[in-house]
Amino acid sequence: MKLERKSKTDRKSFSGKDVFFIVLSFSVIALFLVLPQPSGLSRGGWLMTGILVMAIILWITTPIPIAVTGLLIMIMQPILGVEAAEDVFHSFGNRAVFFLIGVFIIAGAIEKHGLHRRMALKFLGVFEKSPRMFTLGIMISSASLSFIMPAHGVAALLLPIVASILIAMKVIPGQSNFGRVSMLAIAYGCSIGSLGTPIGGARNALTIGILANEGIRISFLEWMKYSMPVVVIAIPAVWLILQIAFPIEIRDISTARKEIEEQVRSMGKMGRREMTVSAILALTIVMWVFFSSPEYFGLAVIALLGGALLFFTGSISWEDVEKRVPWGIILLYGGAITLGVGMNDTGAGAWIANAMLNAAGSNVYMVILALIAFTILLTNVMSNVGAVAMVLPIGLGVASGISGISPLLASMTVALSGGLAFMLVISTPGNAITYTSGYFSTRDLLKAGTIANIACIGVVMLVAAVYWKNVLGL
Amino acid sequence: MFENILLPASSEFYPGKALERGASLAKIFGSRITVLYVMEEKALDNADRVSDAFRSYYEREETKSEVKKEHLSTADKIIFDSAKKFFEDKNISFDGKVAEGEFSDAIRNELDRDRYDLILTGYERGCLLHYRIIDNSRVPIWVESGSGNSTILAVCSNLAPNQKVPQMSITLARSLGWKLYMLYVVDTQDSVEVDENGNRSGTKSEKELTDAGEEFLGRMKELGIDTRLVTGSIERETVKAAREVGAGLVVVGREQKKNGVLGLPVKSIKKKLAEKCEYSILFIN
Repeated sequence: MKLERKSKTDRKSFSGKDVFFIVLSFSVIALFLVLPQPSGLSRGGWLMTGILVMAIILWITTPIPIAVTGLLIMIMQPILGVEAAEDVFHSFGNRAVFFLIGVFIIAGAIEKHGLHRRMALKFLGVFEKSPRMFTLGIMISSASLSFIMPAHGVAALLLPIVASILIAMKVIPGQSNFGRVSMLAIAYGCSIGSLGTPIGGARNALTIGILANEGIRISFLEWMKYSMPVVVIAIPAVWLILQIAFPIEIRDISTARKEIEEQVRSMGKMGRREMTVSAILALTIVMWVFFSSPEYFGLAVIALLGGALLFFTGSISWEDVEKRVPWGIILLYGGAITLGVGMNDTGAGAWIANAMLNAAGSNVYMVILALIAFTILLTNVMSNVGAVAMVLPIGLGVASGISGISPLLASMTVALSGGLAFMLVISTPGNAITYTSGYFSTRDLLKAGTIANIACIGVVMLVAAVYWKNVLGL
Repeated sequence: MFENILLPASSEFYPGKALERGASLAKIFGSRITVLYVMEEKALDNADRVSDAFRSYYEREETKSEVKKEHLSTADKIIFDSAKKFFEDKNISFDGKVAEGEFSDAIRNELDRDRYDLILTGYERGCLLHYRIIDNSRVPIWVESGSGNSTILAVCSNLAPNQKVPQMSITLARSLGWKLYMLYVVDTQDSVEVDENGNRSGTKSEKELTDAGEEFLGRMKELGIDTRLVTGSIERETVKAAREVGAGLVVVGREQKKNGVLGLPVKSIKKKLAEKCEYSILFIN
């Protein structure tokens, strides 16, 4: 077999389409500057809405990296006189930023020592009874690992593990439903699992940050108390949808079993460093569960403590942090949180929410349903952090306008719906990463994703209406 | 006729139907088949772009390298392995190669490197071929659909030189033992005539174009082939006729279409045909 490699340039130049969308986004800002604000909205609120539209265009069409759009959101506010520079950068210093940094350091150590790989193989080993159970195992493994590390990292980890099993089984990419379901189970499992704890996705930290600005503090355990019912119902529901959409043609799973055993054998016994990372991870989770409430330390301090312990024990070096911490997410997060704060401070969020309520009516359940559907639609076509950043201020505006919806209920509705991006390759890194395997097509993703998203609208609605509202009294 | 067949597969699709067609053509023409597995960079670049803020450069490179390893393993253990068994059982000589990049570019590079008489591919995930390669390749391109029909529809028109299509269609029909139908379309939406060098004339009247068509019909009759003359758009008439005759293969030539607004090329007739058709297409330039 001969391999021909093509030389590549590092940076791709802008295409005509990219230039068009950049010009369009700035033209929108110019238009908002020139046009007078509508009645009931301040000048600042009007310009903030312009920045929101600019961000929507750039986050959906991505002519520039989404983190750079985050930066643009921050700098446009003082340039347009919406917020003072100090205020913009002050909201960027939110504790949730440091929580994210801590989480990425811990995730970096887990990845460095292959702890996640060992855990994934252990999980998969439990489900190697039949092909169907195996795909359920993939989904549960993806979801469970996404409770303790960012979902994209889990997708990147499970892709080669599952692909090697499929290759060993001679499952043909694009032809086999078993291949389709296995790969889609990674993508969807990661997305659903990322809702479970504040660690799974940056949008969870963003929600916690924005709620903290509203004076509402959520601990690790509280987050899980709200989110876990959605995870527990959505996993079997989506797995069932995959089984119906793509009936599995394979009967024998023995090759997969052998491949997993082989991979476990090749990993050898758990080393000292791996044990140290496991212990620090366990300690951090225990502390998050018991001491992250406002009267104790909060999420960020514990995350950074866990990160610091990894350095003290020599489990991670600064070089590893440089390699594995995605600083882009911090910028994206900064832009997203300042967008939320700006929308709130200027009244733009409440104004958009009022306009929507005037159009849709004020039935509590209909409004919750509209919030879920709107967020899920948006998160499918753009970065889920961006989608949550845009809809959260509107949700908070809705909460202030309708007596039956609390800010916490509105925020959790938006945050959890924001993680359910199943339909397109561009919806979330997990979808894009698993798509590279070639085992499913964009059409497969759209087909399964549309049904799964509709089902998940029902799941979030059910949990919001029955559990959050009537059992927990949110 | 087809001594060396290039059979490109991609990490985006597995060319099962093309492999079968390759085997049947190779048996008839005694061809050697080269399977070129292209590791598509488009999906990798897309994953990179979607993940750029969420994962560090190092992590993204790590994933890319894992995915490439997986693709190489797929090429080796699934594609080449099954192709080897498939072709060796039929005593067909076979070679496997791997390339990285965009599908059409990888094919073009391979054509520069070795001599091939036919490119044989499938379109399970839409036709991955860029229209420029369909328009510019000097090597015939067969896009296999897996249709079981044994009928060839050869399409000639005022927009093509109409030299190679009749010649190759007759040879193919004889070699495969398939029935041949010939169609001449007077394209009234682009009323020019294309000469044997592929140059477009000035605008002509419908009568002039029909007369040229009648002349072509006469030439075909001398070769013993009945040809039907129709007027309309080449795409629509081709699709209609293919449906009527139950075509298993449509042979299309070097149609020289007019440019679009500001002289920019419009989407190729051939690409549109490949996307619309339920039958295989052979593009001959």
